[in-house]
This record gives sequence, C-alpha cells and structure tokens, in this order.
Amino acid sequence: MKKIKIFAGIAWAFICLIIILALFPGLGSFSGSLAKLPFMKINPNYTGGEVEQSLIMDNCTLDIRRPVFDGLFREREKGFVQIDWRGNIPEEINDTIDYDSDGSNDFSVRINSKSSETQLQAFSDKVRDVGISTPTSYGWAVRVNVVKTNSEIR
Amino acid sequence: MDNTLPGFSLRKSFGKSLLYSLPMILITFVFISGGRPDFSDPLSAIASLATFMLVNVLYFLMHYTGKTDRFRAVLFIIFALSLSFTLISNMVETRNSMSFSQADILECKIPFCHLVIPMMIIPAAFTKSIIFPGTILGSFAGIASMVVLWLVATLVLGRGFCSWGCFYGGWDDGFSRLRKKPLLKKINDIWKWMPFAVLLMVSLTAALSLVPTYCDWICPFKAVTEFEEVTSVESAVKAGVFISLFAGLVVVLPVMTRKRTQCSFLCPLGAINTLSNKITPFTVKIDKASCTECFKCVAACPLFALNQEGIKSGKVSVFCSKCGKCLDVCPNNAIHYGIKGVPSGTMKKFSRNLILFVSFLFMAVFASGSIIITVRGLLDLIF
Repeated sequence: MKKIKIFAGIAWAFICLIIILALFPGLGSFSGSLAKLPFMKINPNYTGGEVEQSLIMDNCTLDIRRPVFDGLFREREKGFVQIDWRGNIPEEINDTIDYDSDGSNDFSVRINSKSSETQLQAFSDKVRDVGISTPTSYGWAVRVNVVKTNSEIR
Repeated sequence: MDNTLPGFSLRKSFGKSLLYSLPMILITFVFISGGRPDFSDPLSAIASLATFMLVNVLYFLMHYTGKTDRFRAVLFIIFALSLSFTLISNMVETRNSMSFSQADILECKIPFCHLVIPMMIIPAAFTKSIIFPGTILGSFAGIASMVVLWLVATLVLGRGFCSWGCFYGGWDDGFSRLRKKPLLKKINDIWKWMPFAVLLMVSLTAALSLVPTYCDWICPFKAVTEFEEVTSVESAVKAGVFISLFAGLVVVLPVMTRKRTQCSFLCPLGAINTLSNKITPFTVKIDKASCTECFKCVAACPLFALNQEGIKSGKVSVFCSKCGKCLDVCPNNAIHYGIKGVPSGTMKKFSRNLILFVSFLFMAVFASGSIIITVRGLLDLIF
C-alpha cells in the first residue's frame, strides 16, 4: 500500500509537470475551447442586451436594445433599456423611442453632446429615469431605467 | 532516498546547479524570444535579455544556495510591481487615465483579473453568463485566458498560486519584508479563516446583485491598478475603501507583523486556493526525525500555515502557499518540499527539484511578459 501511494503521488506530480509544460504553448487553444462553453458570454447587464431595432438616420445609426431585466433566478421588476447612437453624432440628439415595439412611443430623449445634458420625457408608466448617458468610442449610449407592468410581471 | 542526518544540505555545486538550470534556460528562452530572437528593436531586445537573465539567475541561485524563498520573493515582487506598471501604462495609453469611465464599462473594456473568479461561479451556473464588463477572448487580460491560467495553476500548485502565480501577492510580500523584526508579534491566527467569510459574502452578494461586489467595493489592489472614475459620492466612498484597505492590509500591517495580511485575512481567491491545496501533489512536509522544535518556521510563515501544535505533530496546514520561507529558516532542513504519498524525510532533493521547476516555470513565463514591458518602458524613459 505504501509503495502504491508513493507511485501514485509521483505519477500525479509528473502529470502536473506535463500540464504546466503544455499550459503556455496551448493557452490560446485552451482559452478558445473555454470561450465556446455556453456560459462564457458577458451578462446583458454589462453588454446592454442584444440589438432589437436598428434605425439608419442621417449621419448615424440608432440601435435600440432588448430591455434587460436579467436576475439570478428570474427576471427582475426593474431593468433598463440601452439606446446607442453610432457614427457622427450631431451636437443635439433628439429621438423618440418605442423600445417594446408595441406601436406607441415610450419616451423621447434629448441629449446635448457638448454639455452631456440629457433630458428624458416619458410617455409610458414603464419608463422611469436616465441611468447612464455617456459618450462612447462609437458615439453615444443612454440607459433608461424601466420597470415591468403588472401584467408583464405576472 | 535522501538521508535525514544533520548536516544534510540542499546546496549544489556550480556545475550541478547550471545543469539543473538548463531546462529552465531553454524553456524560458523559447517563451521570451518566441524561439527566434528579434534584434530589430534594440531596446526591446535588451528588455527581453534582461528578463531572461533575471529569471534564470534567480533559478540558478535557488539550486546553488539551497535557498528558495529568498529568490522566489525577488521575482514575485518584481512581478507585482511590473504588472501594475503594465496595467497602468496600458490604461493611460488607451484611456489617458488610470480610472475607467462608464463608457469603458458599457463597452466591456475592463481588464479581467483572477480575483473576480469566485464571484463568477454562481451567476455562471444560473444565468449562463459572466458578470464582468471585460472581453472573453481579449488580447489584454481576457477572461478565458485568465480563467485557464488560474485553473491550471490552482490544480497544479494549490495555494502555491498565492506565492508563485498571483500578480498582487508580491505587494504585501514585499512590504512584509521591510522590517527585520515585527512590531506586532501576537496575532490570533483565527483571522486566517476570514477569507472564507469574505468568499461567502462576496459570492452571495455578487450572485444576488449580478455585480462583482469584491471588485466594486473591496479590492485593495484597485489602488495600484484601475478604479472607477470619481464622479459621485458613491464612487468617492469606493475609492476611499480601496485606498484604506491597501494602506492597512497591504502596507501598514505587513510592515508591522511581517505577515502577508491581505492574503491571510481578506483574499477570497486565497480561500478557494486553500481548498485546492487538497488536490495538488506538491506539499510541505515536516521530518520529525530532524526537527528540533525551534519553531523558527512558525515565526517565519507569512500566511499562518504553521503553528507549534502542527509542528509537534508533524503537520503543515492547508493554508500553506509553498513560498519556501520556512524551508529557508530551518537549521536542519527538517521542513521540506514533498510529494503527497511519499513519506516525510525521504526524497527531499527530488521533491524540491520537481516543485521548484514546476512552480518557478509557471511564475517565470507568466511574469516575463509584464517584466519585459516594464523594462522596455524604463529604457524608453532613460534613452
């Protein structure tokens, strides 16, 4: 039994040596394989969710993303919707958004890209306030805090 | 089998040390130069050569002198300093600032580090996503590559990751060496269980909020890497917490106690690495036949892994990070690197050679990239 333990210990140690020797040359392919696993994607609370509508405007593109209510076990009551303006941003942005695609406008947002002043006008009970309004490398992004309606929660 | 008699030494002759260093020289040459040295940029070539020389001289000295921690710590501390330099210079280059903005978060441009891993696990299981604004396969601090590096290191080295792989550990390791004698000697070692409480707290809060709460509110190393732009009371409070914890746990307490207090009392990843110490084949053993119970090792241990009862019963706790400090102070080489399953007091040299090679190779290759960038940056400043 003692000899088996010694053999097993040394064998495991040599396997570890081989693993370390293979680690750095194989790091790219190991990382690539790991990245393919289903959980290896950034949470929508950070990415802003998938783009649901893309509207081409004069100088830029307006992306309206899927509202994000993601929680640990189920969706939360409070969330946000992210709007991105990509391309050449005018000094004054003024757009009306229907984020849930129900045919009626939910809010309008006015941004002064020089002063970063952002004004929100809500047309729906679901729209609360501006969470984030910031210049980005691609243009401008706004996160508007929204809530679910009673029927949506049920 | 090695003998256990007093006078047994781990020192090797010059030639033998060189021979033992040859595999490290060859492998680090391949990794640092890519197998083909490039002299088109002389400053980069000098930086690569200096890094190559540094790691190999340190490894050679480990064999030649028989001392481990003395030379491990040099590279470990340089690794921590150079990583901070690399991270900060990268951020200044890309953002003109050490702080990150809301836009950087929205665009998922935050560099990922291994301390986020404990908070990723529960959300990854339930939401099938990573709760960090980084890139999965980024060229700089991508999530997948950092997870692979940590996973392999913790499997192979266990808590050895904390002394051979963690690019933050060198900070409090360095500060813990500034005084020759501690000002504060009596510390209740019950505090070493604190990281498990922190691990539980940050795992649960991160899972419930889907925010990496340790990074957001606690991490002391934000003070020397990147932090949120101070634009509100909340971000100012966070910055205050980061700086206070860095000053207290990474600078002041290590200087006063000669212990790595951040690693011992706070780090949640250290708690996970402690558990993985059960898997690794590499360990530290006490040869009862040679031990005179002088307890110099207990005083030297920076992570509260040794106590008098443990020494008397010949046991090293799972908190051991295999830094080698106890090995260096033991007058009889009674405490030594060992392989699980192999009885203590036997195969001392074989075990040491194998553990040093595996651990040092990981640190040398992992650290060399940021050390080269740092040396290159310093050369740019000079010339």
